[in-house]
Amino acid sequence: MEKDGLELEITELRLGLPGRDVTEKIMKKRGFTEMIMTSSGSNSEQCENGVVSSGVDVEKVNDSPAAKTQVVGWPPVCSYRRKNSCKEMLSTKVGLGYVKVSMDGVPYLRKMDLGSSQGYDDLAFALDKLFGFHGIGVALKDGDNCEYVTIYEDKDGDWMLAGDVPWGMFTESCKRLRIMKRSDATGFGLQPRGVDE
Amino acid sequence: MNYFPDEVIEHVFNFVTSHKDRNSISLVCKSWFKIERYSRQNVFIGNCYSISPERLLGRFPCFKSLTLKGKPHFADFNLVPHGWGGFVQPWIEALARSRVGLEELRLKRMVVTDESLELLSRSFVNFKSLVLVSCEGFSTDGLASIASNCRYLQDLDLQENEIDDHRGQWLSCFPETSTTLVTLNFACLEGETNLVALERLVARSPNLRSLKLNRAVPLDALARLMVCAPQIVELGVGSYEDEQDSESCLKLQAAIKKCTSLRSLSGFLEAAPHCLSAFNPVCHNLTSLNLSYAAEIHGSHLIWLIEHCKKLQRLWILDSIGDKGLEVVASTCKELQELRVFPTDLHGGGNTAVTEDGLVAISAGCPKLHSILYFCQQMTNAALITVAKNCPNFIRFRLCILEPHKPDHVTSQPLDEGFGAIVQACKNLKRLSVSGLLTDQVFLYIGMFATRLEMLSIAFAGDTDKGMLYVLNGCKKMRKLEIRDSPFGDTALLADVNKYGAMRSLWMSSCEVTLGGCKRLAQKAPWLNVEIINENDNNRMEENGYEGRQKVDKLYLYRTVVGTRVDAPPFVWIL
Repeated sequence: MEKDGLELEITELRLGLPGRDVTEKIMKKRGFTEMIMTSSGSNSEQCENGVVSSGVDVEKVNDSPAAKTQVVGWPPVCSYRRKNSCKEMLSTKVGLGYVKVSMDGVPYLRKMDLGSSQGYDDLAFALDKLFGFHGIGVALKDGDNCEYVTIYEDKDGDWMLAGDVPWGMFTESCKRLRIMKRSDATGFGLQPRGVDE
Repeated sequence: MNYFPDEVIEHVFNFVTSHKDRNSISLVCKSWFKIERYSRQNVFIGNCYSISPERLLGRFPCFKSLTLKGKPHFADFNLVPHGWGGFVQPWIEALARSRVGLEELRLKRMVVTDESLELLSRSFVNFKSLVLVSCEGFSTDGLASIASNCRYLQDLDLQENEIDDHRGQWLSCFPETSTTLVTLNFACLEGETNLVALERLVARSPNLRSLKLNRAVPLDALARLMVCAPQIVELGVGSYEDEQDSESCLKLQAAIKKCTSLRSLSGFLEAAPHCLSAFNPVCHNLTSLNLSYAAEIHGSHLIWLIEHCKKLQRLWILDSIGDKGLEVVASTCKELQELRVFPTDLHGGGNTAVTEDGLVAISAGCPKLHSILYFCQQMTNAALITVAKNCPNFIRFRLCILEPHKPDHVTSQPLDEGFGAIVQACKNLKRLSVSGLLTDQVFLYIGMFATRLEMLSIAFAGDTDKGMLYVLNGCKKMRKLEIRDSPFGDTALLADVNKYGAMRSLWMSSCEVTLGGCKRLAQKAPWLNVEIINENDNNRMEENGYEGRQKVDKLYLYRTVVGTRVDAPPFVWIL
């Protein structure tokens, strides 16, 4: 149980106010940061679209020890609750790329993080997963051949067909998404398409 | 007692239901052992690997209800890798082969498959009750089998499970003749629900007492359901974000007014506050309220609601309620017995929603409080000492300070004295979770005073092996000890291996125990399964010639009468 390098005590990071007695007892305790370095985190359950650090960005999860708050299994909240509460927390950060998604015929709203998709293909896959319906993706890629269309409300409040503008422009201007039956879409007042594919 | 015929003795035994008492009865004499054995109705197995189904059936041939628990508690926090074990299939197969007339199956932290559910549904004609808590491995197809084949099903209670939702029609699998439902809880299902099938099922179930819906049941459907089920006692509602539908809200309120038996409310994921007002008519009767998933309900709405729930016995809430909100609880809910305050922000940043003041207020205002789970950012010894004085009746006391190693924020001292006061005052304490900065001293107190303690959870605490030894030597009734990230090692582990025979299990992860120590333990105590869980190495520890001094990442040991289990995955090494 010997700890190497007693000389390192000065540099050891501890939680707690400065000026505490540095005794041998404290050194035998595993430092908080040391523990993060050694915990694998390989099985940590992740929130739907990544863990939000206490800062501003919605980052994808990585195993980097730099993420100070990522201790496996801490705080001791069970994974079911974690999943459900993660969504709640992220719902207050809509401006960060989270948009509400509704689908015709489905009585509840979902939210998803546009920032976690890299392009329309990714988005199609994510939407399919969100509603468990294989066909939304097809709508995005192969516009005319499917039952549903994916439309979005842009910054100006206009409803546009998803898939026309470059991805970057889309994520910047998209405020919410709606998956609509093609039959209802005609006459909905969609803004005219830009360039035909 | 032996002057009475067996049937009379058996009749007397029927009034004894607690399994602990029944275990005691069976030890009195051979005659009682035999009578008790054949008349035992409910069997509880706290660790599915401590015994085999065959031995169970040998001992109790006639039971009707089985409770099984699988993974260790820390599996809830992702500390147990996927695939570790806890499979229910062999149990159901064995029970199906035997002639036992199983009526109830309650599983916690077990792996359940659709195949298991199908077999279950077909093997027991009188099967009535299925309760699955924190289980995984099955889909709505398995639920469809249960619905289709269990003709007398009364309870289908799914709590916090990971269920693969195939969005199928499992609800419509209940035959039209099925009218016996008492409990229907599918709140944890993620997908769409066949509302028509649900309404028809509820309408033909006059005995339905407990209905907990998932997020896919909107406000207007809920209103119609309540009209069909005014006898409801427990209700879990779905999610109503963006429901500006005030007409449905009014309809719901009108229906709820007729639910004079309603005592328990839960759910409200992503609920908009205005839908809560539909429940105003029943607040004064509520004894149980779970708003711990309702992040959108806070502030004045929440306070208003609580002020009207004067009969609350159980409250589960988020820390957004704040100390002020807890003061309202303290002054309103004089019948409160159980309180759980969960963290809104899991990453420790941001608002300090509840502090030691809230806890003190509750302890002062609620004389009947006996169970608490409290997540907070900060604590002081003074507060804990006051809480102990106010509330000497705690049976369960779980305090989780979000930042590990955090001391008393006023004095910068460890929280040893505070927890010491709790264990000294609360003579009936059975369950304790400690947190914050703690030295060996707190364990000295626990060993000295917590004589009835059965379950102890330790994280980031203690200084030396003495800490763990105080606990092992002092707490004679200890059943489950779980420790993570604390500097306890082989000396403590090996001091008295016989202690583990009186316990259900011991978990130690990220501590100082070594492989050599664990091997010595396994040698000394062959009636224990000593499991080393090492997910990164895939059991190559032995081949690589790991030295005895190598620290073990996760150790899980438990007593068993059936030796090494055969279903362990490669990353589990059983010594």
